[in-house]
Formats: sequence, C-alpha cells, structure tokens
Amino acid sequence: MPETANVAERVRRLAEFLAQTDAVRVSIQRGGDTIEVARPARTASSQSGAGGRGEHPSPGRIDTIKADLVGVFRLSRPAPAEGEILEADRELAYIEALGIRNPVHSLGGGRIVAIASNDGAAVEYGQPLFLLDRR
Amino acid sequence: MIANRGEIALRINRACQELGVRTVAVFSEADRDSLHVRQADEAFCVGPAPASRSYLNIPNIISTALILGCDAIHPGYGFLAENARFAEICADHGLVFIGPRPNVIAAMGDKATAKAVMREAGVATIPGSDILPGVPAAADAAAAIGYPVLLKATAGGGGKGMRVVGRPEELERAFAGATAEAEASFKDGRVYLEKLISNPRHIEVQVLGDTFGNIVHLGERDCSMQKPSHQKLIEESPAAHLSPRVRSALYDMAVRACKHVGYTNAGTLEFLAAGDAVYFMEMNTRIQVEHPVTEMVFGIDLVKEQIRIAAGEALGYSQRDLVARGHAVECRINAEDPRNNFAPQAGVVANVVFPGGPGIRVDTHLYPGAAVPPYYDSMLAKVVAYGDAREAAISRLERALGETVVEGVPTTIGLCLEILASHAFRSGHYDIGSLPAMLSSAV
Repeated sequence: MPETANVAERVRRLAEFLAQTDAVRVSIQRGGDTIEVARPARTASSQSGAGGRGEHPSPGRIDTIKADLVGVFRLSRPAPAEGEILEADRELAYIEALGIRNPVHSLGGGRIVAIASNDGAAVEYGQPLFLLDRR
Repeated sequence: MIANRGEIALRINRACQELGVRTVAVFSEADRDSLHVRQADEAFCVGPAPASRSYLNIPNIISTALILGCDAIHPGYGFLAENARFAEICADHGLVFIGPRPNVIAAMGDKATAKAVMREAGVATIPGSDILPGVPAAADAAAAIGYPVLLKATAGGGGKGMRVVGRPEELERAFAGATAEAEASFKDGRVYLEKLISNPRHIEVQVLGDTFGNIVHLGERDCSMQKPSHQKLIEESPAAHLSPRVRSALYDMAVRACKHVGYTNAGTLEFLAAGDAVYFMEMNTRIQVEHPVTEMVFGIDLVKEQIRIAAGEALGYSQRDLVARGHAVECRINAEDPRNNFAPQAGVVANVVFPGGPGIRVDTHLYPGAAVPPYYDSMLAKVVAYGDAREAAISRLERALGETVVEGVPTTIGLCLEILASHAFRSGHYDIGSLPAMLSSAV
C-alpha cells in the first residue's frame, strides 16, 4: 500500500486538476495500487486517446499520454519529475518492445501532473503514462 | 497465453485451469468487460477494437507473452490460428505455438499445395485442372474431367470468379465472365477447373497427432447444414446414413494424410461426399468451432489434448482405445438476422438465459448486459446436446433451445429450431444445398 500522506497528496493534486478541468476521472497507477478521483460525468473527458504520442494536444487542458503499444515502460534520462515544467516537446520515456526502443514524447510543453506508470513496469495498450497540464 | 476472444478463449481457459496451467488473456479495448478477461489469471490489453490492431497485432501479442513470462500460446480458431508466420515468430521467441509446425500450417493453408500433398499421400481430391491459359485449354481440361464443371478463380473466395459450366457450348462465355470477375475482385484473373459436385455433404474428420508420430482419428462430423455463404450452422457427430465403406475410407485417408505430412496437434480434414465418392477439400490446422460434438461422443477433451501434445507428451492411447458412444448435435447461436441475409448484429444483450439439464453443454461468453461489438465474428454461443441415439440428441437440443433466451440482438435460435424440426434434418438426408433451399422456399 502507498504511504498515507503520499496518497493524500496525490488525491489532493488529482482533485485540484479535476476542479480546474472538465475531466470526469483521473487516476494514477503505481504497481498494484490505483488512485482514482472521479466526479459525475456531465461533460466529455478531455483525455487524449490511446496512441496519444501521435496526437497533438490543444492548449489549456489535462492530457493523458497513453501507451500505444505493449512493452516495458522506461523513463528517459534525465528522468522527468512530477511538477516539472516542460517548455517544449521532449522525450519523456520509451516503451521497450521486442528489443525496440519506442520513444514517448510530451507532444509540446506543459506541467507534468503525474507519472502514471512505474519505471520498468510492463504497460498494456492504452495504459496512462503521464498526465500533463497544458495551461 | 490465450490469443483469442469470445467463447473459445473461455474454452481454452477452462482446459488450462483444469490442468493447473496459469493463463494470460489478451483483449481489445472493445472487450475490456468480456468474460475471458475476467476469468484468466492475468489479462492485458493489446490494442483498439479493430482486430487488425489487436487480436491480429503480432508484435503486441508476442511482447505481452514475453513480458508476462508465458511458455506457450494457444491461438484458438480464426485470427492467428492458421498463420504460419505467427507460429514461426513464436518459435523464434522461445514460445510454444499450440498447433502444428509452421511448415505444415503453410503447406495445408495453401489450397493448391494441400491438394498436391494429399494426392501424394493417395488421398482423393476433386478432379481438376491447373491454371488455364485460355478457352482451348479449358475445353481440353473440361472434356478430360467430364461435365458439369466449375470454373474457379485461383485467388477466389465468396463465390467471386466462379461459374458452373454444364455443357461445352457454355464454356467460352463462362470463361470470359469468370476471368473478368476474378480480375475485378482480386486483381488476379487466373482461373482453373474442378469437377462440379452437386450438393455434396460436408463431412470432416477430427485428428490428433503427437510429436512421436502417433496419429489417431476421432470420427467424423457432418457439417452440411450451412448458410448460403457456406458457414456452418448445425453440426453433428456421427454423420447419419454414412455407409461403413465410406466412413472407413474417410478415416483411412485422414490418418494416411496426417502421417504423410508428419502432422502434430489437433486438426480437421474436410471432405465433400457425394454418394460413395469422397473428395478431400481442405485441412484446418487448428481446433474447430464444432469440436464439442466430437468431445461429447468420445469423452475426450480436445483442448487439453492440444496442450498436452504441445508440452511434448505422447497421446498415451491408440486408435482401438477410442470408442464413440451416442450422438451429439450442436447449434450455433449467432447475432445475425436470418431474414436479412444473415446480416451480423451488434448491441447489448439485455437478458440471457441458457439451458441446462442432462446432456446439454453450452459454450458461450455471454452474460446479461454483455456487449456484442460489431468488430468480430457474430457467434454468441454453441448449444450442444448429447443423446444415446440421434433422435434423442435432437429432441434434447430442441428442448434446450426452447429454454434459451437471448434478448437485445436478433439471433439464429428460431432458424435452428426450424431446421431441427425439418424433414430433411430429421431424416438425416440433407446436404449443403438443404438450408439454402429451405430459406428460398420460405421466401
């Protein structure tokens, strides 16, 4: 189980972003633990779809960058950090699949709200990797 | 790993659970709430809804198997089950493909090669020609084979580029029509001739082979009750009114052919039967949809046998140990509208009640509230009835279908009941033309 204070902080941050956006649900997965903050759906989610690496986001919203293939998720070096401001597009991580390194880009600037998968973890198609605040 | 979806994914999962083998299910985003995802030990999403990007996505499937430490992949039927390249890739990555060797899949997957191999093995194939360069060659071939003949596109499928030629004077026009249609449909206008077998029966033989060269057959299935598109709707084992001579010839050809190609794992040889003549049609190098009827009369779990064989175990029994008892009949419940040319239907199953009681088996992935996505095969369930004799099995299946409720999408349940009640089916004297004839007389 994640440490309680850490959980509270993550929930607070997720709730803050939910309040600022029209997103319906935001979740973070770490190993076997998932933290999810949701509200009744009245508007469409602002999440980008799987395959987000190829889709350019519109400014002023929370984007979820998802895995568009199956593989092992690895943070690029220097490792991105939650809260870090990205001025422009940057390679944040890569997915290693069948010996091939498939880069994961931020697709523009923004603030890293959350790194949603563990470095070195297996990720499935569509799995959230990063939450980025584009404002 | 179970590289499939729907009822066959559940079927394989059940066999694995009973063998104490842990399972990984793969699924598309459209199948996130499917039963096979819930029942496997682990599940991994491998792509979006379209099969080409999920269940046929070889890199993601292999990657999942390697990451999660799978030893073997069961492909089920359809999707990658008869993809020789996929079987090769599995082997290249140290994964056991639960099926025959890639070279055998490749040889049997190509119709022309498969027929040549069968002829080498002394198995009767439908008399036919090579590819025909023009009308004179076609005329010579047709005269040698004997009219009526069928002109077929070598790249064919779905009846395109196909013409029946009853008399020599019809040949020229038919040849022009078939080549033009084949060119338009497949960008390949090449055609060849086959002897026309009018309304044959579709009889297939189940085989199992281990890696030690042991081959057995598990009797035959009659799959002649087919839609006009040649998709099977009702299957039974054993076939009714099959003479001992024909039955014995079928078994002999099936085992001989498998020994000839060094066949391993489960497979099915499909034959066309007309009177006492039987001709090899094609081989399916995988488990079949209709395998439960064989399992019920032989008391053998074919999927477990596949896994055991792939693990390098010997069959452990010989042909004389295999005895068929009783009769089994299967109906396919598809999300289709039989009154609208069997158009596939998608939607949500609002309510579902499946039958039970003695001698009934239901293989399905449905549950109340389950989605029927538009992306995949429309089969929802197989209802199988066993009886001591054919009539008992049919009566039991009628009773079972009467108990079955599937609300939310149109299904083939009503049509299956009509077929079971028909004189043709009841008498056992039916062929691949029977259901199309029933449907056109109903119109």
